[in-house]
Amino acid sequence: MVKRKSPIKTFLFYFAIFSLVIFVVYPFAWMLSVSFRYDSDAFDSGIIPKRPTVNAYMELLGLKESIRDELSNEEKQLLDLIKDLPEEQQKPVLERIYSQRKKEAFPFLRFFLNSLLIAGLSSLVSVIISVFGAYAFSRIDFPGRGGVQKSVLLVYLFGGTILAVPLYQIFVKIGMTGSGSKGLISLFVIYLVQTLPVSLYMLGNYFRTIPETIEEAAIIDGSSRLGVITKIIIPLSLPAIITVFIYAFMIGWNEYLFASIFIRPYPQFYTLPVGLNEIFYSDHAIWTKMMAASVMTSIPVIILFMTMEKYLVGGLTAGGVKE
Amino acid sequence: MTFLNRYSPLKKKEAIFGWKLVSPTVILISVLILYPVFYNIYLSFFDVSLSIGSENKFVGLSNYINILKDSTFWRSFGTTVAFTLITVIGSILLGLGVALLMNKKFFGRTLVRALLLLPYVTPLIAIVFSWKYVLLPIDGPLTKFLTLFGFSSGMDIINDPNNSFIVVSIFNIWRNFPFIYLMILSKLQAINEDYYEAAEIDGANSWQKFLHITLPELYFVIGSVALLRGIWNFYKFDEVYLMSKFANTLPIYIYEKAFTGVPQQGVAAAIATLLFLFMMVIIGYYVRKVLKW
Repeated sequence: MVKRKSPIKTFLFYFAIFSLVIFVVYPFAWMLSVSFRYDSDAFDSGIIPKRPTVNAYMELLGLKESIRDELSNEEKQLLDLIKDLPEEQQKPVLERIYSQRKKEAFPFLRFFLNSLLIAGLSSLVSVIISVFGAYAFSRIDFPGRGGVQKSVLLVYLFGGTILAVPLYQIFVKIGMTGSGSKGLISLFVIYLVQTLPVSLYMLGNYFRTIPETIEEAAIIDGSSRLGVITKIIIPLSLPAIITVFIYAFMIGWNEYLFASIFIRPYPQFYTLPVGLNEIFYSDHAIWTKMMAASVMTSIPVIILFMTMEKYLVGGLTAGGVKE
Repeated sequence: MTFLNRYSPLKKKEAIFGWKLVSPTVILISVLILYPVFYNIYLSFFDVSLSIGSENKFVGLSNYINILKDSTFWRSFGTTVAFTLITVIGSILLGLGVALLMNKKFFGRTLVRALLLLPYVTPLIAIVFSWKYVLLPIDGPLTKFLTLFGFSSGMDIINDPNNSFIVVSIFNIWRNFPFIYLMILSKLQAINEDYYEAAEIDGANSWQKFLHITLPELYFVIGSVALLRGIWNFYKFDEVYLMSKFANTLPIYIYEKAFTGVPQQGVAAAIATLLFLFMMVIIGYYVRKVLKW
C-alpha cells in the first residue's frame, strides 16, 4: 500500500519540528550571543552580536584585567591620600576599599576547579564502589541480596529536601561544619551516597548482559573472583562504566542544595552553582560575564555528552537518572 | 554467621565474598540515607538547638500543631501539589507529542535529536541564567517578543509573586520533557508493526490506531515516568529556588525555615516528615491502582 502524503500535512509536520527546535534552542542561542559581547552591548536587540568579542571569556579566565581591576588605580590614589592621616581615620576607608575589591572579585576558575574536584572525586569513588557492589548483585547469591537491592532503589524516593535537616544536624554533631575543607569533605560523602544508587542500578543491569560462560572459563583456569572482576568484567564493560561516571559527575556538577548548606560561609570553597548564584545576586553581576560563565560551565558536560551520546541516551532510558 | 551453616562450604565462601563486595554500599546508604530519614522524624519532636553544647528541647507534637495551624504552610502545600500536577501532566503531553514526531524519519533528525537533549543535560545554573536574561523586564528579548501579544514590558515576570509560579512550572516542563520523550520513544520503537498492519486491514484511521494500539502499549511507560517525575517534582528544590525565590513551594519553605533567618530546624524536620508521609501514601495508592503491581 503506497501512501501519498498531502503537502499540508508535510508542511505542518516540518512546522512542528521547526517550532520545537526554536522552543528548545532559544535560551541557549541568547546565552551564546550575549557571552560574545561587550558589557555595553549586552541588551542590543538582534541575536547576532554586532561587535563580537571574547572579552568576557578572557576576563573570566584571568587572561585580561577587567575594567574594574583598572579602576583600582583610583583606589591606589586614595590610598596615597590617606597615608598621612591618623590610623583611626584610615581604617574605615581601607575597609571600604577591601569590601569593594571583594565584591568585584569573580573567581570563576576557583569555582570551576572546586566543582571539578568534588564532582570528579565523588563520582570516581562512587563508580569504584559500584563496580564491586553491582557485580555482587548480578552474579553472587548471598542471603539478604534482595533486601539490599530494594533498599538501594528506595533511595530514589527520598529527595534531598527530606535529608537536608537531619544530614546537617549529623554533620554538625560530628564536627564537620567548622571550616571550608570540612564542608567539602561532607559534600564529597553526600554526593557519593547520592550517586551510588544510579551507578549500582545501571552497572548491575549491564553486568547481567555479559555471558557468564566467559567468567566460568576463567574460574576453571584458576582465576579468583576478584581477578574475574578486574581482568574480565571491567574491560568488557568499560563504555558502561564511563557512562555511569558521567551521570554521577553531572549530579555533583549540578548540585545546589547541599552545597549551599555546607559551604555558604566559605567563598574560597564555592562550587559553580553556589558561586555563580552568589555573584548573580551581588553587585558584580554583569550579563556578558554571567553568560560566558554559563557557557563554560556547560562545556564540560556537553562535550562529555556529545562524545558518549550513543551510550548515554541508552543509559537514560535504562533508568540511569536520579534527581 | 550461624545462619550461613545451611550452606555448603563453597556457597558459604561465596556468600561472605558477596557481603564483602556490597558492604561499603550498605554502610554508606544506611548511615547517610536510612538513618537520617528516621533521625528526621526524631528531630521533628524537638526544638532543635543550633549552638553546640546546648541540648535539644523535647516539645512533643507542638511543631506539628504549629505547622498545621500556619496558613503559609497550607498555601505552600497547595502550590506544591499544583506545581507537581501541572509539570507532570505538561511534560508528559509535550514528551508524548515530541516522541510521536521524532518517531518519523525526516531530514536532519539526528541533529534535532541531539538538540532536544540540551535542556535536560546542560547544567542547571547555566540555563537558569539564560532564562532570567530572556525574561528580564524591558530589555529581555522574550519579554520584548511577548509585548507583541499585549504583555506589559515593565513587568518582572520571574520575581512577581503572582506569576513566578507559572514561569517556574513552564521552566520545569521545558527542562524535563526530554527525559520523558526519550523514555516514550524507546517504547514506541519497540511496538510490533504487525499490530498497525492488522488495524489498517480492518480499516482503522491514524487516530483510531493511536487510541487503540499506541496508547495502551505506552500505558505502563507513561505511568512509570509520571510516578518518577511526580516524586522528583514534589521534592524539587534547585530548579524552583534558583529560578525564582517567590514560587513558594514546600521544599523552599523547609529550606528557609531550616537555614535562613532564625533557623527552626525542628519545625523544618516536622514539615519534611509530613511531606514524606504524604508522599508515601500517594505512592502506595498510585502503585497499586495505576501501575497495578
